[in-house]
Order: sequence, then structure tokens, then C-alpha cells
Amino acid sequence: MSADSALPGGAISARSVIHDRGYRRYDGPRLGRLQIVRALLWHSFRSALGIGRGAKAKILPVIAFVAMSLPALINAVAVNKGNGQIVTYESYLFPLRVIVLTVFVAVQAPELVSRDLRSRVLPLYFSRPMRRGDYPLAKYLAFTAASLLLIELPLVLLYLGTIVSSKSGAIWPNTRGLLAGLAIGLMWAVLVSAIGLALASLTGRRAYATGVVAIFFFLTFILSQIIYQIAGRGPGGPVPGPGKGQFITPAISAGQRLASLISPFNTLQSLTKWFAGVHHIFQPGEGPVPDPGSYAPAYIVMFVALLAASFAILAVRYRKAGVA
Amino acid sequence: MTDANFITSTAAGPQGGGAGGDGTDGAVIETQALTKRYPGDITALDGLTIAVAPGITGLIGANGAGKSTLIKILLGLLTPTKGRAAVFGIDCAQQGERIRTLIGYMPEHDCLPPDVTATEFVTHMGRMSGLPATAAKERAAESLRHVGLHEERYRLVGTYSTGMKQRVKLAQALVGDPRLLLLDEPTNGLDPAGRGAMLDLISRIGTEFGISIVVASHLLGEIERICDHIVAIEAGRLLRADTITSFTGASRMLRVEVDEGLQALADELARRGLGPRRQQRALLVPLTGDATYDALRDAVADLRAPLSRLELSRHSVEELFRDPDLTEVPDVR
Repeated sequence: MSADSALPGGAISARSVIHDRGYRRYDGPRLGRLQIVRALLWHSFRSALGIGRGAKAKILPVIAFVAMSLPALINAVAVNKGNGQIVTYESYLFPLRVIVLTVFVAVQAPELVSRDLRSRVLPLYFSRPMRRGDYPLAKYLAFTAASLLLIELPLVLLYLGTIVSSKSGAIWPNTRGLLAGLAIGLMWAVLVSAIGLALASLTGRRAYATGVVAIFFFLTFILSQIIYQIAGRGPGGPVPGPGKGQFITPAISAGQRLASLISPFNTLQSLTKWFAGVHHIFQPGEGPVPDPGSYAPAYIVMFVALLAASFAILAVRYRKAGVA
Repeated sequence: MTDANFITSTAAGPQGGGAGGDGTDGAVIETQALTKRYPGDITALDGLTIAVAPGITGLIGANGAGKSTLIKILLGLLTPTKGRAAVFGIDCAQQGERIRTLIGYMPEHDCLPPDVTATEFVTHMGRMSGLPATAAKERAAESLRHVGLHEERYRLVGTYSTGMKQRVKLAQALVGDPRLLLLDEPTNGLDPAGRGAMLDLISRIGTEFGISIVVASHLLGEIERICDHIVAIEAGRLLRADTITSFTGASRMLRVEVDEGLQALADELARRGLGPRRQQRALLVPLTGDATYDALRDAVADLRAPLSRLELSRHSVEELFRDPDLTEVPDVR
């Protein structure tokens, strides 16, 4: 009725016929393209976290968040008992990050893109007032935001836990550590979600997509470790001794420093250590991923190349999918 | 219900629509020498020039005639190789986004995710059409009601029958309050009853809601009863564009089947000047009016022929254009 009364007098009688039949025109405001993309982003962000998709969809995100947050809680308890901080802001707990992120991305990236491909819903999106690139862009930003939350919420918990539990306080070093950790977390989220979405968009079959993503991340990770081991055994390898795990030991060969290039996770970890080494914010952690040292530019190139390749895959994928 | 009402509402439709721009008096769709060639030298559209008036228009063509290509060009999703296309006077290649705010599109294929409810899905699609959150919810509920989904709309789409899925597809096209609906083979996969219901629904939307509709189909016989105009294309070229009456006038056929004595009946019908044609085990008789029915009835009665089937023949478009003017085709023994 309000729609009718808003019209100039002449149109009322003609319109009332339609109105009696039950169809009402929409005279309200229409959102522009950017707001539509924002709506899609928000919708996808919620789906990535299992919100609005039923109870079953929430299981994995909840497990991922709980698992990722456990070290922060344990750390808080440890600090409370007078121990030093056992988890660093920069790489958090690297193996845990690898496992949780792999599972999260492998299961949730297909949720965002494979579903739509499988049910062939894309033509419905593309027949609406958005551009071809808007769809993958919204999906990517949404998934990056979800991954970022998964990576950084535990960091914030770690920070709060440390501050509250610590007797001495030490707010400033912790804040500095947190900020650096958050920046590094962004780097992780940006790359891991790009690779995950690009791989998942290759197939509409969800199980395959999950398999492809998980296998890619794990295989490259394992391969990188193996190459590291092999490179360590060659001539000029490390002499057995207390050198293992130390920040920069002369015993680490060039091959070992480059081995991490194979794996996106190890690439991220190498860059993390490089930043840490350069800025001396952290004590670099132990593990088979060494500081890349003078090879750092190679890791920066790899980071950019992986990101560019992922975007290229998404762009090509959705240029085709829209017309089909 | 009454014709008078239809006319009123049709006339009121464009008047009520502020966004339609200059589409009121002129053509809803205009193409000029529209050509689309795909890589590999496949020509989907070949110099197609059409003008589609407001109302319900049937876009008839065999599979592969270029219907879907035309629809994608109209939506601004494909760039024509040559020529131009405009919807409501807005160029499709230049202003695709703007055009897509005015068009609701129902694809031919399945396009529904199975694991959401119809309400959730249509609401989301309303958001994607540019409706604010609250308006999207309201219009989703309304659109689903208009297509005849009531309590079912809270069920997961995966549990729906084909007919219900087609209705959801129509509802998502309707949710953004378009000025023009492009429906690609909307009766696909439906049983005869479902087809009838879907066609009634489309007819209601076109006549009562004041929304112009283009229905793409390969079955002229099926959609002719709801269309005001017909555009027939073949191999990307315009075959014929006309109002429905002039279009089907020459093509309406009665299909007669008898258990035995087909030849005798053919002779008798020919004697009565009905000009029958034999098609496999049936006779096709051009329908010129009620007199045709009477003559046919008398012929069957006189011969005491065991009539087993009498129906309005459903032409596919290929059949229709194989014999451009069926009245002139001589009696075929």
C-alpha cells in the first residue's frame, strides 16, 4: 500500500489492478556493484566459518579454532607458573599451523568455490550487476579474512594470556611481538587462501578439491623436508654437534637454505625467520626450516610467484565458468 | 481472467517501472546485424536483426540455433563479433552491469545448490541483485509465493522435485523485480502437467505483473499459447518474427490417428477438401477453423473409422519451417 501512495495520482488506478493480483513492484533503494560484492564477501566469510550453514558445517571451523588456540592457553598457564613464554608470536607453533591450516583450507576452500561450480550457480551470479572478476575477488577476500581470523585470534589470545598471567607485565615487548606476529599472520593468510581457492576452483567435486588442496600442501611440505635432509648429508654438510637448530650455523648448506622453496608453508616460515632475523624481534625457533639468509630474495620471489599463479588460475577459471 | 484485465495490467506495467527508462513505447530488445562467431569458426549468430515488443515473446529455435548465445549477449556476458544489441535502449556490450539490474535470467540447466533452503537461496540471490538485506528477505518470500512455493520453501532445495526446482529458478529471476525476464527452456524436464503449470505461471507473470518476458524454447507448439509474439531463429539467422496469430495461423494442424483404414480416411478427408498429409501412421489436417473439426468428425462418422487419437499437432520448429506454407503442400499419399 505504501508503494501505491508514493506514486503520482495518475498511476494509482492503473497500478491498483496489479496490486490486487498480488505483485508489488520494488521501489526501494538498490545497492551498487561494490555493495553487492561486499554482501557476497560477507556471505562467503560466514560460510568459511560455517555460520548460517547448519550445525554440521560448524564442526571443522570450531575444531580448527580450538586446536589453534590451545598453545595460547598452555602458554598462559606456563607463564602464570613462572616459566618463560613457550610460544612465540612470529611463527606461533609452526607444525600446528601447518596441520590446522592445511585441514582448514582443504575443507573450507571447496565450501566457498566448489559448491558453486558443482551446482552451476555461477551463471546466476554473472547475470547480476557485478563484473566477472568480482566473484573470485569477493571469495578470495572472504577466505583470506577467515584464514586471518584463524591465524590471528590465537595470537591475540596468546598476548592477552601472557599479559594477564605474567607477574612482571612486560606489556611493551609483548605488544611489539604481537604486532609483528599479526603482520606475519597476514602474509600467511594472503598466500595460503590464494593457493587453496585456486586449487579448489579447479574442480566442482568437493571431495576431489579437498584432496587436491591437502595433497598439494602436504606433499610439498614433506618433499621440502626430504630435500633438506638430503642437502644436509652432502659434502660440506653439518658436522654433528650442538649446531642443530641454532639460528645461523655455518653448517647449514645452500641446498638446505633453498629446500624450503618447495613448500608454501616452508616458504612462509623461511620468510618469517628472515624477518625475525633481520629485525631481531624474535628468537628464531628451532626446526628444519632454516633462516634463508642471503637467499631471502628467492623466497620473496617465490611468495609473489605463488600468489600471482593463484590469481591467474582464478581469473582464467572464472572467465570460462561465467560463459558456460 | 478476463481479457480486459490483462490489457489494463499490461498497459500499467511499464508505467509503474521507474528503472525501465525508455523501454515503454519502443522495443524491449533490439538487435542489429548481430553476429557471434566462436573460435574454431563456429557461427552462433549470423546477422540477426530483431525487435522485441513488450509482452511475452517466444524465442523459437532448434537446439544450437543460437538462442542461448543471444541471451548471453543480451545479458552483456558475451561480446558480439559484429553488430549491436540493446535492451530498453541500453547497449548490451557497453553497459552490461546496468542492463543486468533490469533483467531476471532463468538458465536452462540446473543451477541450484542442494544444501540450502529455497528461502535462503532466493534471499541471497536478491542480495546479489542489489536489494538491501530486509528487502531481499521480503521479496524472496513474495517471489516464492508467486511461483507457488509455500511451506516447502523452508526445505532444502535438494529434496525438491524437478517442478519445484524450476519454480525456484523462476523465483530467483523474479526476486530483483526485473523489467524483463529471460527464460531459457523453462519447461525442461517437466512432465505434461508440470509444463502446463509452468506455462500458466509465466503467462500470469507476463500479463498480470507487467514484466516483459522472452521464453526461449525449441517447441513452438508448447509455448505458442502463452506468447504474444514469436521470433524464430535457425542457425543464428532470423527465420520469422511476427505476432502469434499470424505465425501459427498457417501451421496449426490436427493430428488424426485411426486403428485401421488410414488410407480410406485420407481419401475421404481429401474428398471433403481438408487436404490431409500422411505422417507415418497418422494424418495431419490443416486447422482452418471450427469447420475443420466438423468435417473431420463427419468423415470419421461416415466411414465408421476406429478413431484412436485426435489432437492439435505439436510442431517442433524444424518441422514447421521445413514446409514454410503448409496449406500449399499437396495431399501426400
